[in-house]
Amino acid sequence: MSLKKTDVLLKIRDLKIQGYSDETWVDIIKGVDLTLHRGEVMGLIGESGAGKSTIGAAAMGYARDGTRIVEGSSIEFDGIELTTSTEGEKRALRGSRIAYVAQSAAASFNPAHKLIDQHTEAPVQYRIKKRLEAQEDAIELYERLRLPNPGEIGFRYPHQVSGGQLQRAMTAMAMSCRPDLIIFDEPTTALDVTTQIEVLAAIRDIVDQFNTAAIYITHDLAVVAQMADTIKVLLKGEEVEEAPTDQMLENPQEDYTKSLWAVRSFTSPQKHRPTDGTPPLISVKNVDASYSNGPKILDDVSFDIYEGMTVAVVGESGSGKSTTARVITGLLPPSEGEVLFKGEPFPAYYKDRSKDQLRQCQMIYQMADTALNPKVQISEIIGRPAQFYSGLKGTALKTRVDELLDLIELEPSKYYNRYPPELSGGQKQRIGIARALAAEPSFIVCDEVTSALDQLVAEGILRLLDRLQNELNLAYMFITHDLATVRSIADEVVVMQNGQVVEQGPKDDMFTPPHHPYTDLLLSSVPEMDPNWLTTLLEERGVDNIGDAAAAKIDPDDDKVEGTQA
Amino acid sequence: MGDILTLVGKRLGLGLIILLVISLIIFFMVELLPGDIAQAVLGQSATPENLAALRREMGLDQPAIVRYLAWLSEAITLDFGSSIVTDARVTEIIGERFMNTLFLAAYAAVIAVPVSIILGVIVALLRNSIFDRVANVISLSFISSPEFFLGYILILYFAVKWGMFPAIASLSEGMTFLELLQRTFLPALTLVLVVMAHMMRMTRAAIINLLASPYIEMARLKGAPPWKVIVKHALPNAWAPIINVVALNLAYLITGVVLVEVVFVYPGIGQALVDAVSKRDFPVVQACCLIFAATFILLNLAADVGAILTNPRLRHPK
Amino acid sequence: MVFVILYFALLLLLSCGAAYYNQRSAFLLLFSLTLVSLVLAIIGGIPALRFVAIAAGMLLAAGMMSYAFREFLTALASDEMAKELRTAPLTAAFGMFVIFIVAVMGIFAPAIAPHGEAEIISQAFAPPDNNMLLGADQLGRDMFSRIIYGARNTVALALCGTVLAFILGAMAGLLAATKGGFFDGTMGRIADVIMSIPSLIFALLMLSIFGGSLAAPSTSAWLLFGFAVIVGTLFLAAAAYSVLSWIIGAAIVVGVSFAFALAFTSVFDASEVILILVVAVIYSPRVFRLTRAVAGNVVVMDYIEAAKLRGEKNWYLIRREILPNSTAPLVAEFGLEFCFVFLLIAGLSFLGLGIQPPTADWGSMVRENATLISFGEITPLIPAAAIALLTVAVNFVVDWMLHRSSGLKE
Repeated sequence: MSLKKTDVLLKIRDLKIQGYSDETWVDIIKGVDLTLHRGEVMGLIGESGAGKSTIGAAAMGYARDGTRIVEGSSIEFDGIELTTSTEGEKRALRGSRIAYVAQSAAASFNPAHKLIDQHTEAPVQYRIKKRLEAQEDAIELYERLRLPNPGEIGFRYPHQVSGGQLQRAMTAMAMSCRPDLIIFDEPTTALDVTTQIEVLAAIRDIVDQFNTAAIYITHDLAVVAQMADTIKVLLKGEEVEEAPTDQMLENPQEDYTKSLWAVRSFTSPQKHRPTDGTPPLISVKNVDASYSNGPKILDDVSFDIYEGMTVAVVGESGSGKSTTARVITGLLPPSEGEVLFKGEPFPAYYKDRSKDQLRQCQMIYQMADTALNPKVQISEIIGRPAQFYSGLKGTALKTRVDELLDLIELEPSKYYNRYPPELSGGQKQRIGIARALAAEPSFIVCDEVTSALDQLVAEGILRLLDRLQNELNLAYMFITHDLATVRSIADEVVVMQNGQVVEQGPKDDMFTPPHHPYTDLLLSSVPEMDPNWLTTLLEERGVDNIGDAAAAKIDPDDDKVEGTQA
Repeated sequence: MGDILTLVGKRLGLGLIILLVISLIIFFMVELLPGDIAQAVLGQSATPENLAALRREMGLDQPAIVRYLAWLSEAITLDFGSSIVTDARVTEIIGERFMNTLFLAAYAAVIAVPVSIILGVIVALLRNSIFDRVANVISLSFISSPEFFLGYILILYFAVKWGMFPAIASLSEGMTFLELLQRTFLPALTLVLVVMAHMMRMTRAAIINLLASPYIEMARLKGAPPWKVIVKHALPNAWAPIINVVALNLAYLITGVVLVEVVFVYPGIGQALVDAVSKRDFPVVQACCLIFAATFILLNLAADVGAILTNPRLRHPK
Repeated sequence: MVFVILYFALLLLLSCGAAYYNQRSAFLLLFSLTLVSLVLAIIGGIPALRFVAIAAGMLLAAGMMSYAFREFLTALASDEMAKELRTAPLTAAFGMFVIFIVAVMGIFAPAIAPHGEAEIISQAFAPPDNNMLLGADQLGRDMFSRIIYGARNTVALALCGTVLAFILGAMAGLLAATKGGFFDGTMGRIADVIMSIPSLIFALLMLSIFGGSLAAPSTSAWLLFGFAVIVGTLFLAAAAYSVLSWIIGAAIVVGVSFAFALAFTSVFDASEVILILVVAVIYSPRVFRLTRAVAGNVVVMDYIEAAKLRGEKNWYLIRREILPNSTAPLVAEFGLEFCFVFLLIAGLSFLGLGIQPPTADWGSMVRENATLISFGEITPLIPAAAIALLTVAVNFVVDWMLHRSSGLKE
């Protein structure tokens, strides 16, 4: 990918965008400059609220409902000033010279039309191609993007096609007029890792083939490292720094960027199962489960969790990891098999469990927003379990709540009377942890507790959980799809696919080959910071042995294979 | 297509069951009458002999379930027995009136449906502008006004002060169609005003909801001109909500028609129902209620079936 | 002629002023008013213009009144409430003002009304004079006094009907959302059936059987008792968790229901009780549907799951977790239901099947004086306008509340 530095395609100067909230206009983008050359791919990265997506839309001269571009900003596309051009002029660029790929392809394709009709809409409208030519071109693009059945897939409706395929079809649609610039707005965020890799490979390939310039918006550093020539880091509507990818990865200048780049430094030392024959704290035995006579979601799942240890359950969406948690907590009684607590059977349905049994097993949720009642004060959220299980009242209750707030490193006097919406994401997650601790449990299910959080905050939560485990001798079941989290906190790992456990064992064993083929696929699909990672991987595995295609070939009973990555 | 047929079939079946349950309610509600129908007909001063005779005549000595089945099987053939006040056949009393009511409702619907949908779409496109706000206030005012308020205002101005239309919408033999339209204009207009406000607001909400979907933004970002965004991208997905809005409001028309008929002394079924209620003429009340409920259910059914038929996800199953 | 010149001069001056100060929407409004007046002046002449001028003047007066009332409320309210109130549009302030006036009228009716509710003081249809602000009705009673009393009677009935519909519907909805399963399904089916009969028609059916002038006090008391027992059972189903609590609860429910029926029948007469029950039965399924939907959105939240797993009982879930998160839409829905109930009662009274004479009531007053319309008198329109005004007022307030709660979500 060579850059022709002379040929500037997009020049944004002093871009300011305001959003309307609480009856006033608030600055969202506070003066950002951006220069993009022909054929260059620029990665825009930042945490939620950084304004990446807003800048992406602004590059098309588009302000979403409730936002406006402030006067004095300049967006110049190939010599055309977009802030002063008419709607008609801007419209003539959209679709033909600047195209857009949205985050959720499933929602962004019109459900009422076939894929190919939506694909040919722009070329036909701009009289670039006749309908039939455009269709042939679409089929060719589908082929280049390695969609299965390229000749036929376009004649389906959006709901008949899977998410990863839709995302590629949308990339093909963006390519239909061979634009100079494509805006990719988090195109793989909603996808599983094994699917993501296919889409990434396809996007990179096609952008390269047609030498299209692109703005690639994402919050995932490893992804942007694969895709972009230059990286621009944003924070709260302002630019932090910009540099070519290699330079940015090796030698970031700003503290903020360094903190993002820092590889997870935190690793909890691995603990091992007790050898004295004490029964496991929680033991899942040959569990089958399904939702109201639907298809089987869990198929013969068994694993043990010992006191004071962390078991990470890993798998993609639909693998049954959350369903397993629901079986353990008693929300979904299994159709076969049982759950044992310290060797004694646990009643299958939570309503049949005694107060003490319920107390033993607590839960921390992924979305702290929905996990805490917004209309209840922190003191009551944390105090209620203490009151409910231990019967604490008055000053004893207040002391206990203060103690718990201390434990999660929040100043009691400051947070006692506040409501959840007043807190930040990390603070809310801490309150969720405190609520679980208030019950004095021996076992906590952590359901994707860090995946909705920004990286630094997430690490703080992991450290806190680890400290609490050591102090209170807690056992965790850690549900996650993020292998970095597994590396830092797990003692044992359970890998699930399609409702079955494909592999389980101590963490050290799991991250060294040989792997089960699915574990291997999962491990190898997780993007790494190395900019050549995707290239190397494609060379090693081959384009046809990644993603859904590869996952489909795997039989859960396969033998272990020597992995390519560790 | 098989899926759609099963869905439609299920929906039709459900509608039938609901209608059946409603016929049960309508029939057995009257059984709850303190005393019984015979008592209600003859009043407190009736002698036991007269009561017994009337009961036998009306078949009240048989168990309720037998009478229900007889009533239902006759009702299916549109025979609702005879009035207990005038002895006339119920079908004769309400038959022609029902057609009149249908005419009035259709008259109002023909004006209201296209106008309000177009207005609703326009207001949705101009949302948050001053016109939108004014339209909001005006439509809220119309929704809040009872039908008789609007009706009497129209009578006061159009009939009494300006003499453009008759205040009483009486029908007579041998009227030309134009005369008919002119005579029934004011009641139709009253209905139009009320229903239009509802329909416009609902259309507006449905369209705004639709315009917020990501695929509309995508169409805009593909450079589609505004008319194409509406016609090609929004409209094919808007049928279900619009059909729903229309059906709901036609159903609403049915209720509104009762009051309007009374205001304009229009010889419709609503007028007959009100008379029958005040005279406690139960066979007529039951017949009218069953007809109103059946029409109401039919319209809701049509809306649901329409929504199923226009849903692309169902039309093209995986 | 002077009036016409002044009229157009003022409008043009105002529109030019608006245009000069870049008040786009004000300008558009004023100038379109100018154009409309021009057309009207040609068609209808000076009277039409006068009409427009009076209407505009009334709008302006209403606007100023609403503005002043909003400022008044803001000054009285606590800081947090004041902040909310400041965001209220003028229409909502107008609505609150009207509701306030009607409330005062209703509560202090005997003190405000110059004459008694059923007092005949002159001959039929006597024109307005110093003694009777709006003239007399068809029996020679003072219209003005009857409108004041009507505010009390009609609104009180509608309010009671709405409250009963709300208690039944909301309780069933909350319970259905919390319990789910069979109970939820059955309740949903029952609501479906009741809602597939048009409300006015269902009301007429029920009134033909129980209501009107033939309503018996004993029947109405028994029906009230039955209604109260159903509501009580719902409460019991939510709160009781052991056989003993069921037994004690049942005893309390029966007692309370009995007291409730007695109290109600002593305040309202039989036909009014029937009317209240009829609207409560008709509108509770609507409340049920909405509450079920609102609570359904809350029930799927993780904090509800957390509370269930803690072992909390239904009653705690409803009271502490679900209700606090459903109040905003439920309050708005209460306003909306009140409008429906109010219009239904007014309609029934207009048909002569609702509130029975000699009780003063807005709906039946329209019917009783309807003949005056054909003489070009607007007297019968006044109670009708009162109905419309109160409904519009409530709708304006509800519209603002709905807008606010939907704005919070985004």
